[in-house]
Amino acid sequence: MGRAWAAAVGVCLLLQAGCNSPEAAFHFNAVYAHKQSGVTKSQAKNVKEILIAQFGTPDEPAIPALPDLDVSTVISLDRLKMSAGPVERTDDTAPRRGLYREHCAHCHGVTGDGRGPTARFLNPYPRDYRRGTFKFKSTPVGGRPTHADLKRILVDGIPGTAMPSFKLLAADELESLIQYVKYLAIRGEVERSYILEIDAELEEEDLLLNVPGEDAEQVAEQVEVIQDITSMVLSRWANAAGQATEVPAHPVDDDKIASITRGRELFFGTTANCVKCHGDTALGDGQTTDYDEWTKEIDPTKPHLAAEYVALGAFSPRNIRPRNLRQGVYRGGRRPVDIYWRIKNGIEGTPMPAAPATLGSDDIWHLVDYVRSLPYEALSQARTSGPKFQRERN
Amino acid sequence: MISKRVLFAALLLLCSSLLSSAANVQAAGWGSIKGRFVYDGAPPKAGPIAVNKDREFCGKFNLRDESLVVNPENRGVANVIVYLYLGRRDKPPTPHPSYEKTADAEVMFSNDKCRFSPRVALLRTTQTLKIANADIVGHNTKIDCFSNAPINPIIPAGSDIEQQFSAQERLPTRVSCSIHPWMTGWLVVKNNPYFAVTDENGAFEIKNLPAGKWTLQVWQEKSGYVKEVKKGGKTTKWKKGRFKITVKDGQTENMGDLLVSPKLFKDR
Ligand code: HEC
Ligand code: HEC
Repeated sequence: MGRAWAAAVGVCLLLQAGCNSPEAAFHFNAVYAHKQSGVTKSQAKNVKEILIAQFGTPDEPAIPALPDLDVSTVISLDRLKMSAGPVERTDDTAPRRGLYREHCAHCHGVTGDGRGPTARFLNPYPRDYRRGTFKFKSTPVGGRPTHADLKRILVDGIPGTAMPSFKLLAADELESLIQYVKYLAIRGEVERSYILEIDAELEEEDLLLNVPGEDAEQVAEQVEVIQDITSMVLSRWANAAGQATEVPAHPVDDDKIASITRGRELFFGTTANCVKCHGDTALGDGQTTDYDEWTKEIDPTKPHLAAEYVALGAFSPRNIRPRNLRQGVYRGGRRPVDIYWRIKNGIEGTPMPAAPATLGSDDIWHLVDYVRSLPYEALSQARTSGPKFQRERN
Repeated sequence: MISKRVLFAALLLLCSSLLSSAANVQAAGWGSIKGRFVYDGAPPKAGPIAVNKDREFCGKFNLRDESLVVNPENRGVANVIVYLYLGRRDKPPTPHPSYEKTADAEVMFSNDKCRFSPRVALLRTTQTLKIANADIVGHNTKIDCFSNAPINPIIPAGSDIEQQFSAQERLPTRVSCSIHPWMTGWLVVKNNPYFAVTDENGAFEIKNLPAGKWTLQVWQEKSGYVKEVKKGGKTTKWKKGRFKITVKDGQTENMGDLLVSPKLFKDR
């Protein structure tokens, strides 16, 4: 049955019309389960059932109940409703539904696995939310994005990628979509954690949660494990707001040239090391053989293994390229503060590291100034005049 | 379907806080355990690494693939990690007093000659990891933790940083350098001192465990959990790399040579 529904959803998405399929289904994270090889079929089925109990379905979302955390402070079920469900626009007065499937699912997939029907043709691939890993945010590596971070991404889109801007949506629609992204991310993280728990702790014949009956004490214990895991995931999101990295003021002495010069020294020096990846001319051609974290999970350097994951639905691995800094296109936003956050904290899920702790905020600002000056250097201008200098857009 | 869903939902609302765990049985006294992992085949030759970054510097060191290090003389397998396995609810045992003086020690983990040294760092949650860069080139150290926040700081040439990991990690965590992608290391973080990594002869020893029955877990980066070993001609399966031992007061339990089959180390 599950498979039939999944197929139905797939067909609906491809046809993009007339789909009022009453019960769409979330896909199981088969790729991650394959990685944690010790998950049996019946354990996988058990995980799916637990997730339905906690998070509902794409048409009928739910939020889990926890003893120690008020989940509605992180995601509000009421807000989600507008984004969930099939696209519906029958009656202007009725509350709208289906925003996520209307605007996002063809790239990000109904499950938020980044595998919508158009996804495999895009570079970079759309975000798979299920790791809880986001790139362009104000919080350090390991922190979840804040509400404001996600809002900015939705409003501005991600320039230089397929991710569009949704500036034109109404405020309550945006709010609902932000919540829905969190919902899918949390659901995906919880699923991964269950898979990990099973692989690490359970014998083949054991389930994460037994259908109640014989051993009430055992079931109570299992429920506690499930709640612990869910709490852990949710608390990361609950804490995000307090984790935004502070951005001290730009050094008052505003001799721009001096700041850029200092930034250039740092960029090419052995303390900040930017040159190693971004290359001698900052065209993004230094270290070009690495992968992002989503791709690393499918063992990209071992083609025969990667093929197994691809057979389960993962996309073919591609290398990640450091940004060409001469183009002046900043995916995470072009405001100085955005670039400050990128350099200070690094870009999670990618090789781009956090600046060394020894660099103070003035130094980070110098780097920001230098980076922002790069598109205006003579070399950057010359590039566009002759095909000789043309590079693949990154 | 629906009724089952409701059932589960009801279950998840259930709040149970009075659970006692089936704790390990702890008797009086202290004992140790040791053994040696031995490759059950001809020692494989480690292939060279394609040094494609900072060639002038990193190219000097004849770097080899260290994902499986077998001693050519005695076939001992290095970098096998052995640790006390505790269930989610088991309290870690109170450590033997001999571990007190190292409880807040610094554990060195160095970017040295374009490789991590040691390959496997063992850290207690009370200790501090000192990540150093002894090289003249810059490195970044990317630690993809699960329970702790992952980190990825640049470590400038000749400098170091200190990092704490307050939660234990269930599995060894991969450490890498994005500038030099061949660099791989592993970090083990536990809330107790009962762990070890095999040396260049394949030998390990965990000292002064409380006497009693314990479960140990064994992991190696290429094999994952070490799922079976052969001893005295007999093959024993270790589910999830776990095996049970009884530690006796004042004694060292010597497990002897534990043969591990080459098939365990196939690419996963
Ligand atoms: C045409 C394809 C496309 C559509 C439609 C689309 N996205 Fe994206 N989205 C992407 C791509 C591609 C990325 C990854 C960009 C990158 O990695 O730099 C992305 C990334 C994201 C991210 C991650 C940002 C980060 O900091 O990591 C979020 C959140 C997101 N999209 C939300 C949405 C939402 C919500 C919608 C619908 C309202 C949507 N997207 C519609 C392609 C799309
Ligand atoms: C280990 C390799 C590496 C190093 C070292 C590195 N970067 Fe990056 N950088 C990357 C990669 C990869 C990306 C692209 C990430 C993505 O968005 O997918 C990137 C992206 C960027 C961006 C683009 C941000 C945006 O919003 O588009 C800037 C700016 C940047 N790096 C600046 C720096 C500076 C300044 C330094 C030195 C302090 C530095 N990088 C060091 C790999 C690196």
